[in-house]
Amino acid sequence: MPRRHGTTLSIAVIAGALVACGLPDSEYFGPVPAVRDPHHLRWCNSGEPDNLDPAEGQSTTATPLMHALFDGLTRYGDDGLAEPSLATSWDITPDQRRVTFHLRHDARWSNGRTLTAYDVAYQVVRVLHPITASPNADSLDWVKNNLSYLSGTVRVLLRDRGGLPAGTIVELSVAPDAVPPPDTNLRTASRALALRELGAAPAAAYATVPAATPVTIVELSGRPASPPGPAADRPWAFVYWDRGAGVYGWVPLADLDGEPNAAHRYQVVPVAAKNLPGHDLTADEVAALTAPAPPAPTPITVDGRDLLMLPETLGIRVPDPFTFVIEAADPTPAIVSTSASRAMRPVPREAVARAPRRWAEPGTIVTSGPLHLVAAIPRDRLELVRSPTYWDQADVKLDRLTAYSMDDQAANANTYFAGGCDAVAANNVPQSYLAALSTGNHGKPYRDFTVSPQLGVYFAVINTKRFDNVHLRRALALALDRPRIASFLHGGEIGVASYTPGAPIASLDDADLAACGVTRATPGVALVIERGALCYVPPPGLEYDVAAARAELALARRELGDRFPREIVYKFNLGFEAHKLIAEYMQAQWKQVLGVEVRIESQEWQVFLADTRNLEYQIARMGWIGSAPDPEVEFVRMWRCGAANNRPQWCNRAFDQLLDEAAATIDPKARLAKVRAAEAIMVSEAPIIPIYAYTQKHLIRPYVRGLAQNYIGQPPLWRVWLDPDWRSQP
Amino acid sequence: MLAAVATIAFFLLHAAPGGPFSSERRLQPAVQRNIEERYHLRDPLWKQYTTYMGGLARGDLGHSMKRQRSVGEIIAQHFPYSVKLGCLSIVFAVLFGTAMGVVAAARRNTATDHGLMSLALVGISIPSIVLAPIFIRFFALQLGWVPPARADGFVSYLAPAAVLGLIYAGTIARLARAGMIETLGQDFVRTARAKGVTERTVVWKHALRLGITPVVSYLGPAIAGLVSGSFVVEKIFQIPGLGFYFVDSVASRDYPVLTGLLVFYVGFLVALNLIVDIAYGWLDPRVRT
Repeated sequence: MPRRHGTTLSIAVIAGALVACGLPDSEYFGPVPAVRDPHHLRWCNSGEPDNLDPAEGQSTTATPLMHALFDGLTRYGDDGLAEPSLATSWDITPDQRRVTFHLRHDARWSNGRTLTAYDVAYQVVRVLHPITASPNADSLDWVKNNLSYLSGTVRVLLRDRGGLPAGTIVELSVAPDAVPPPDTNLRTASRALALRELGAAPAAAYATVPAATPVTIVELSGRPASPPGPAADRPWAFVYWDRGAGVYGWVPLADLDGEPNAAHRYQVVPVAAKNLPGHDLTADEVAALTAPAPPAPTPITVDGRDLLMLPETLGIRVPDPFTFVIEAADPTPAIVSTSASRAMRPVPREAVARAPRRWAEPGTIVTSGPLHLVAAIPRDRLELVRSPTYWDQADVKLDRLTAYSMDDQAANANTYFAGGCDAVAANNVPQSYLAALSTGNHGKPYRDFTVSPQLGVYFAVINTKRFDNVHLRRALALALDRPRIASFLHGGEIGVASYTPGAPIASLDDADLAACGVTRATPGVALVIERGALCYVPPPGLEYDVAAARAELALARRELGDRFPREIVYKFNLGFEAHKLIAEYMQAQWKQVLGVEVRIESQEWQVFLADTRNLEYQIARMGWIGSAPDPEVEFVRMWRCGAANNRPQWCNRAFDQLLDEAAATIDPKARLAKVRAAEAIMVSEAPIIPIYAYTQKHLIRPYVRGLAQNYIGQPPLWRVWLDPDWRSQP
Repeated sequence: MLAAVATIAFFLLHAAPGGPFSSERRLQPAVQRNIEERYHLRDPLWKQYTTYMGGLARGDLGHSMKRQRSVGEIIAQHFPYSVKLGCLSIVFAVLFGTAMGVVAAARRNTATDHGLMSLALVGISIPSIVLAPIFIRFFALQLGWVPPARADGFVSYLAPAAVLGLIYAGTIARLARAGMIETLGQDFVRTARAKGVTERTVVWKHALRLGITPVVSYLGPAIAGLVSGSFVVEKIFQIPGLGFYFVDSVASRDYPVLTGLLVFYVGFLVALNLIVDIAYGWLDPRVRT
């Protein structure tokens, strides 16, 4: 595989050279074609979406399409900030621990069913359930008991036991590293189980579980956070059958007459007050949060038959079909903006249950958003059309969206040039074209080529299980001369050693400078969260310093001895020439400054994502684009021990501790100060090496209207339309 | 034969370090067990092998571990693109290459011969990653005769087929020339000339049929190679053929996809060689019986 990827760079360099030489100067990049259909957008996407399922997809290739297919409690507006969508209003408690969303009554799924708060709850449950193993679980790491749900250690007590009333949320007392106890949710049936929809007749089953086959209970009807069953006294169970790719379905609970682990004994303790769903902390309990921890309560012993892991153990409640309540263990100002993200976008249970890994395909997909998926040809294109069931038809200007799945940037730009697409997805413009694009209009940039800031940072991740020596990591970080990197990328990128991205301080206005507490002369970047009021200045990173780098390396050599790596492999994903250029630059720098041998490898994006998640790498390229100007949630929290996107798998107790303290702080400025202190620890330990802050490059035909360019790179694609009379309004 | 290939591929791949799901996972142990069981990775190796071979015998090529599709689906969805591209390339290569080679043989050792063989050498020497962007630059961007990328209608296959075809045309030209030269020295050709048959008829009607047998032998492996994924050309022109999956499955240790594609490719190669053998017999009567 390494050999073959000379093609990516060579193709683009040759193409770039060819494009640069011989194209006559013109106003626009390529002759502007006539508008054939004002309501059909042909969009050159940056590749094939990894997955359109909001619980599985994570790439920037999939996300704008996901937002078009699935509505959220809030949605991203043209400016990239969350605005009401499924939720018409919400109430936030003063301690910022609970938000009650009020849903509209006219939202429907594409199959006609009304969208309810139970669908929102279902997605949250699904994203946090261990069977799903969702990569997007990180977005919900503030929900009460989310970690213990994900690790399968939280339960609800079904009957009064040991002095605790039925309904108490408890945690299993399991020693860390111990073998997990048998699953209390396991059931079998003496007769075949007909998996079907809630309340349906057995004849309507879409899957039949053979007798005596184990299934896992996920939900019970009629309980808080779960939909009501047909009869209150005879609950139904939503179960998972591990056949092939898995299947879910409802069955009457009475059919599940076998409980393999009913008599097994478990040690449980009630969860802490701050993790208690539906509970408001008393003044004493708030004080107790910062007091030294009291002795752990004595566990009580309970039978397996009295315990179940159910959605109500999480901080979610559905008091009625159009009210959704979600609770955080700690004050969380970002709940409302997080409700626009993938992890909280409701999905249709009836479609997911039948094919949990493949439901988001044409034919089986059920959508709630402005557009609906009608075709998905692998590695070719996706076709989306206006959804007639969407509640906000006035907001939808587009009747058809064709998203081409070419993963080669040169092919995308060439297709745009030749009139094959109307706009190229942001940042999908080849590196080697940038110089030509910036000068092709009589020395000025082409009018359809624009550059805008982006809330994202490009960095290298280091597998800390392999490179556990901090001095080696620091040496690698200190040995990079970043301004030189930005100079060969031609895209206005800002090389940064600090991590959380922001605007260059020199570009801020006076009010923001005051809010940030810096002067115009201060180097670096700052993230403005609220204009003139709230600002975050990231701590300085490990700037280029040859002497310091070599000193760290010497320490590393001494400490590692024989274990010092003879060769380091740096991995990046295909499709973006910049990755190869940067890889080669870093390889050269590390060899020159540190004398370390580096080999570079490349991989296809989907596989790269999976492998880097599974520690199948040494050092890899990574980028992260924030979905809101919130440094704590979008950037710093990612590096908590065990976090889903913590690809280095770095663990630092002091870091986690500071983030815990920040999480409990209500005053925004004090909160940000703690976040900054945590980030300083992270940057100093170098599990990642920040390289530059992203800018977005756009190629958009002059007749395209309504394609927003926002900081988070999430344009509401359904608002786009093409203007045949564009020449009259340049 | 297929079973042998599958067996060798299976054990070689499993011998390679790493796997589709690393052992140092960040997921909960129960979840990891779940996923490994789904893909039979926890079974002893011999059991995985027999499961896989059993599946093969039933025509089940397995399921990709990294994508939500079966190997059969991947082949069914992407092979047609490779076939279309391959066939068009072969047509181009055979027509152009044979013409070059035959003319060169007929005008042996003249300027025409040297010129044509130089052209053939150029075709063999210039790699597709250079030729393809040049084609795109001039035929797609400058002239606008073909689209620069994507498989969207017959016209979009012309440029990639021309690039691929040119490369194979060079080899075909040389083979055709050599075959024709040998044939033109045969007794029956001298007889035909002595009988007064025109040179053109001698060359194109009598000698050609025998002279292109080396080309026909070459066609078997050439077609299989072309059809099963000329990765570079498919990538540059963004034709969603099978070539991509070959390369990708190696890097990602997606065992079923790679072994499935190998078995498919080998089967295809075997079938093509069979057809070549039959064609050989039809072309050269001396081989029959």
